[in-house]
Amino acid sequence: MAKAVGIDLGTTNSAIAVMEGGQPTIISNAEGARTTPSVVAFTESGERLVGQLAKRQAILNPKGTIYSAKRFIGRRFQEVTEEAETVTFDVVEAPNGSAAFKVRDKLYAPEEISAQVLRKLVDDASNYLGEKVREAVITVPAYFNDSQRQATKDAGKIAGLDVLRIINEPTAAALAYGLDKKEHETVLVFDLGGGTFDVSLLDVGDGVVEVRSTSGDTHLGGDDFDRRLVDHLAGKFKNDTGIDLRTDPQALQRLYEAAEKAKVELSAVTQTQVSLPFITADKDGPKHLTETVTRSTFEQITADLVERCLEPVKQAMADGKVSENDIDEVILVGGSTRIPAVQKLVRRLTGGKDPNMSVNPDEVVALGAAVQAGVLKGEVKDVLLLDVTPLSLGVETRGGVMTRIIERNTTIPARRSEVFSTAEDNQPAVDVVVLQGERERAADNRVLGRFQLTGIRPAPRGEPQVEVTFDVDANGILNVTARDKDTNAEQGITISESSNLDASDVERMVSEAEANRAEDQRLREAVDARNTLDSIAYQVEKTLSDLGDAAPSHERARAEMLISDAREALESDAPVERVRELTGELTQVLQGLQVARTSAPPPAADQGSSSDDDVVDADFDRV
Amino acid sequence: MTTQGKAANSATDSTPEAGVDPVADSAAEAGTGATSSPAPVPELAELEDRWLRAVAELDNVRKRYGRELDRERTAERARVASAWLPVLDNLELALGHAGGGAFTEGVRAIRDQAVEVLARLGYPRQDATGVPFDPRRHEVVTVLDDPDTPPNTVVRVLRPGYGDLRPASVAVSRTAQG
Repeated sequence: MAKAVGIDLGTTNSAIAVMEGGQPTIISNAEGARTTPSVVAFTESGERLVGQLAKRQAILNPKGTIYSAKRFIGRRFQEVTEEAETVTFDVVEAPNGSAAFKVRDKLYAPEEISAQVLRKLVDDASNYLGEKVREAVITVPAYFNDSQRQATKDAGKIAGLDVLRIINEPTAAALAYGLDKKEHETVLVFDLGGGTFDVSLLDVGDGVVEVRSTSGDTHLGGDDFDRRLVDHLAGKFKNDTGIDLRTDPQALQRLYEAAEKAKVELSAVTQTQVSLPFITADKDGPKHLTETVTRSTFEQITADLVERCLEPVKQAMADGKVSENDIDEVILVGGSTRIPAVQKLVRRLTGGKDPNMSVNPDEVVALGAAVQAGVLKGEVKDVLLLDVTPLSLGVETRGGVMTRIIERNTTIPARRSEVFSTAEDNQPAVDVVVLQGERERAADNRVLGRFQLTGIRPAPRGEPQVEVTFDVDANGILNVTARDKDTNAEQGITISESSNLDASDVERMVSEAEANRAEDQRLREAVDARNTLDSIAYQVEKTLSDLGDAAPSHERARAEMLISDAREALESDAPVERVRELTGELTQVLQGLQVARTSAPPPAADQGSSSDDDVVDADFDRV
Repeated sequence: MTTQGKAANSATDSTPEAGVDPVADSAAEAGTGATSSPAPVPELAELEDRWLRAVAELDNVRKRYGRELDRERTAERARVASAWLPVLDNLELALGHAGGGAFTEGVRAIRDQAVEVLARLGYPRQDATGVPFDPRRHEVVTVLDDPDTPPNTVVRVLRPGYGDLRPASVAVSRTAQG
């Protein structure tokens, strides 16, 4: 089935998302960025550039680089004369009275420009998905009128898309948070983007989202905050040195990059260092800009920008006949809502409510549009409510440790098996102890059940292969079976209580494991080291007996001594260092003996170093 | 400042949002229904269809994951390399003020070493002048009137570019139209 995408067609930047496995995901563009500048350029050589590339040549080609097309789409020329003054390209009146762009004597409708942006987003998404994208949900501001909506839809058509629906940006944001599933709520969406500010009040519930009122400021956004910081830094520098960095394009570029970085940092820390060595020079030599910017300084120089958000919010609340107590949820959209002062303002205006900001505010609108596209395509239907195993499941193995078979948080139904073996020669039966929990020591975990698999044919330790299978069905019922691969004898147990744990129990067990992690890790390492020593001692012993007189006598003496040392170390619970040291020496001896064996006549099959890699020695107690 | 309260209200009246969401609702019921026994048995064909879809989706996810891993690796490499670029830029700016002598020679060698490291990581340096402006490699920072060079040519490199990490910041000669 062809994928339907959600597109946030923004004034400065656009983004595209798709449903993947029931979750909306942003798709990066060909340049690897998650948002694409809504800029289209027509170069002198007749080339057409979209996105970042168009932006890079804007200064060279001011008349042929179209940005902010969204401010003109579906508008009559008479409505946008003021707006037309603020842009570098030519806005003219088309024969039908609507606004159009004139580039080198050719007229372009705003929807043609938007179509180019849509085309790039969709082409890049098609490349990523490996299939053609034909259908899309596109978002528009809530205040867009019919003509602006129709023009946006036309842009989609020009781009070769089937526009499933045009939805409002705040609605998309609410969908991304799943608020449409709530009972009946009033939601305030606060959207401070790169260059525009929108605030909307929504009525949501029972799968319907309705816009009660909107307000905003069409020329307020993150770029204004950057400019303030640039002016602040450049102003200080001019006071100190008499040099205005804003007249030097190279210095200005560095300054803008540094200001943007500082702004972002000040959302996380309360002060940051702007360091631009060799920013310029005069007759006395090079000059450096080194300045500490505190969050409070930043808040002072941008206080009026933040204050400008106040009136539209009040206006929207008045228009929607909503008081701060009526607002159930607040959603933050747009990168500038990461600024702490902005968040403080939002809290102040909404009665101290904690705003929703867990979804990336730059992406939330596109994600919500993708959710809508998924619903319209019936894709959401395929999403079953999948459960996960709350805690790890496994068996007890040699040394009293838990060997995990199904890790916690595995989506169920799930089936995993692992092959174990015996710990002793001629062991006739194995005990399978089914464990649940996150601790390394078996005794620290919950025992869900135990059973015995008998009738294992006499064989040296490590040879019998017992396949243990854990199968958790969709309802969390656990089936454990153990099968002797030699005789096909099988034994099993069904445990239905593996899932009926309290959330608090699960939390407690996980946090206990967390608290004891270091100690558990040491214990596990010690047990593993001992097991390794035990099995290598066993192998050396076996190789010796296989070789018989073929073993060089000095090697034999050294091997026998080391084996008895190893046994003693294991019995006396020797420290890990000692165990590892003996393991190392025995490994050397084993290699020496194997050389002796290969040079000796009977070329036995490679049974050497360690048996099958898949086989885990299990401490299945002798019965 | 503009407020658009009125326009918004009329706009929403004419365009019903999101719509009622019957598809999602029934899916939720089907999901929970599967866990309790007396749920109606869905058609076998539908079950098979769902199963095939699930298996196909799994296969697709696996493939996508492989691609994603490559992409992430490339992206992370670019992120780390980018973080070092200002250090190299500043070293280079410092060298612009240096006198001659063995010490400067040595520091210049360090600069060359850094450029070499970036090239080996797949980000070759771009600082050629006299070439035609190309937005794939260049970003215009300023436009110059230079009668001696043809229009649309890189006259000066203000800051070198490095592969896909960053385009070179350049001064370009004015175009005929510009």
